[in-house]
Amino acid sequence: MIVLLKIVDVCTRVEGHGTVKILVQNDEISSVDFEIGSNRGFESFLIGKKLNDVPKIVSRICGLCYASQTIASCKAIENMFEIAVPEQSILLRYLLLFGELIKSHTMHFFFQSLPDLFQIFEISQKPFSPYELIRYDSQLTTNVYELIKIGNEIERIFGGRSVHLITPIPGGLIYLPSRKNISIARKYFQRAIINLEWIIEKFIDVFSNHVPPKEYDLPNVMYLGLNNFDNFDRYRGTLKIKENERNSIEFAEKNYSSYFEKDINLRGIDFHFDKSKRFLVGPISRYKITENYEIDNINTYLEYFDKSWQNGVLFANFLRLLEMYFESQQGLKILDEPVLNRRIILPSLTSLKNSEGVGVIEAPRGMLLHHYYVDDNSLIKKAKIFIPTEINISIINDIITKFAQELYNKTGDINLVKKKIQTVIRAFDPCISCVAH
Amino acid sequence: MKPRIIIISLTSCSGCISTLISLDIFPQFLERTKIIHFPFILDVEKIEDCDIALVEGCISEDSEIGLLKEVRKHAKKVYALGTCAAYGGILSLSNSRNIKPISTYIEIDGIIPGCPPPSKLLGNILIRLIENKDTILSEKVLCSSCPLRGNMEENLDADIIKINPNPDEIVLGEENLDCFLKRGILCLGPITREGCESKCIKLGLPCEGCMGPVSKDFTSNIINFLSLVSLSEDLKNYEGIFYRFSKPKLRR
Repeated sequence: MIVLLKIVDVCTRVEGHGTVKILVQNDEISSVDFEIGSNRGFESFLIGKKLNDVPKIVSRICGLCYASQTIASCKAIENMFEIAVPEQSILLRYLLLFGELIKSHTMHFFFQSLPDLFQIFEISQKPFSPYELIRYDSQLTTNVYELIKIGNEIERIFGGRSVHLITPIPGGLIYLPSRKNISIARKYFQRAIINLEWIIEKFIDVFSNHVPPKEYDLPNVMYLGLNNFDNFDRYRGTLKIKENERNSIEFAEKNYSSYFEKDINLRGIDFHFDKSKRFLVGPISRYKITENYEIDNINTYLEYFDKSWQNGVLFANFLRLLEMYFESQQGLKILDEPVLNRRIILPSLTSLKNSEGVGVIEAPRGMLLHHYYVDDNSLIKKAKIFIPTEINISIINDIITKFAQELYNKTGDINLVKKKIQTVIRAFDPCISCVAH
Repeated sequence: MKPRIIIISLTSCSGCISTLISLDIFPQFLERTKIIHFPFILDVEKIEDCDIALVEGCISEDSEIGLLKEVRKHAKKVYALGTCAAYGGILSLSNSRNIKPISTYIEIDGIIPGCPPPSKLLGNILIRLIENKDTILSEKVLCSSCPLRGNMEENLDADIIKINPNPDEIVLGEENLDCFLKRGILCLGPITREGCESKCIKLGLPCEGCMGPVSKDFTSNIINFLSLVSLSEDLKNYEGIFYRFSKPKLRR
């Protein structure tokens, strides 16, 4: 007799509502799925909307990736008008992406992934509660809190508020030059660099001589991300799919549909490749397709982690720290640009050149792409939004299924299985709100 | 005794919760309270008795009603955190999903409006809540504290032709700018609660109403407002201007 048992567990310490569904058949785990509730329907209620109305609506897809959603949307619209966005606006958009990344990565690192890392490496037997966490190391807590504040303040200064930004609009970014604000922002990035160096060194100190368990290893995957002539860049560049050192493809965002596509009525993104291939986006992919960060410290920090780390999903936790460090340095460079002190007039959006437009961004969790089509009245006719976490779900499911099967065979403890597979899911930092767009 | 806190999310973007966690006072909030349920940062799933429950998000699925009622049963006070919980929020734009503010299903003790709630407002309300003091929200509309107020006319008879200025028309840092309505740009200031410090208006954009309405009778406020301005045909047919962050109670 086949005994089928369905076990559902709510994922905690992730953004949004996700569940894990484990199917047990004759006392063996047959499948494990990370599941997300139904879509809220953004792609359908964007239909009929005016273009300049779209970015602030799509911001509401996600309270963590709001800047990425808004800016990807602006880029798609600007692509339709074929207008040149002023350099000042582009630089300010970078700052908003940096602030968002600092806030999002820091919250994930501290509240969501750090308790898991302590447990995985047996530094603590049970996960720290937020209360234990803030008392673990007062310097760490102070540094983390300053980083969250810095992310927030960068958004407030250049975006008008800290979530669901006001200033990025199709055509550019609303900005009144202020030397005082530039100088405050400079102090924030300088502070972020100091705090991040401390946290990175602490991370190396506590974790680098541990060997991550094999269960967290990544299978062979195709890395996908935005890339600017092999440099780390989350705003400008071309898309790149890289399988290994010998095998990679680069293409312009407007040609994405030659490589992947989606049906807005269905969950998931289809890649036009061999079905066994899995695609990964996010910090690990960005790292794999970046040849050089051009910051000496970063290469030194990376040397502390051998292959056992670099092949696994837990490495993303360290890479997130490096990304914040890298972008804080970039932030300082941008603040020195004289163009930020000029008063400019944004381009007018009057004549639509194309009836469709594509915009792409590297959001904190990976490549985010918006594709809009308009009707004869320049109203949205169709919208497709490609969410990074949607791409990663296949890999997440592969890893958690294998992990769960092996652990259940060995221990027969389904509660342990439920707990452990959540640590894998959290290491990917899934954005459930975005998936349920 | 530290107040016991529950924080849950229904259908939402997590923006109110990310705003809460990134408040300057959040570490202080953690120290002064005992959080017993908060899935974003805590593994405990059980809902137990608490003093204050903060609910983010609207109700968009029946399965959420049970959780909401369970929280209500265990909480001395329930606050709607953000415009989705308070009024329905951005999904009011959706025609396919029947979304509701949480007050449709449970009695609530207060709201903290905004998309997301302004940090100062949220911080002040949280401190008052943990000190077991009453919370007060302004009952005035945004125009009453608008920086462009000086140039507003009492007997407005404006022709409204657009919902946003063109990018090249946005001017900042200039004195004596006209009220948006006078410039033919729809601004929801007259029917929206103040408390956001007019952030959009100061940045050259009109109010889109994310703080939600002041009075319960939002629809009649809109009707009054529409008697003062005339919308272009284009805008009359455009959906989701007034009901972007809340749905009218009677529909169809």
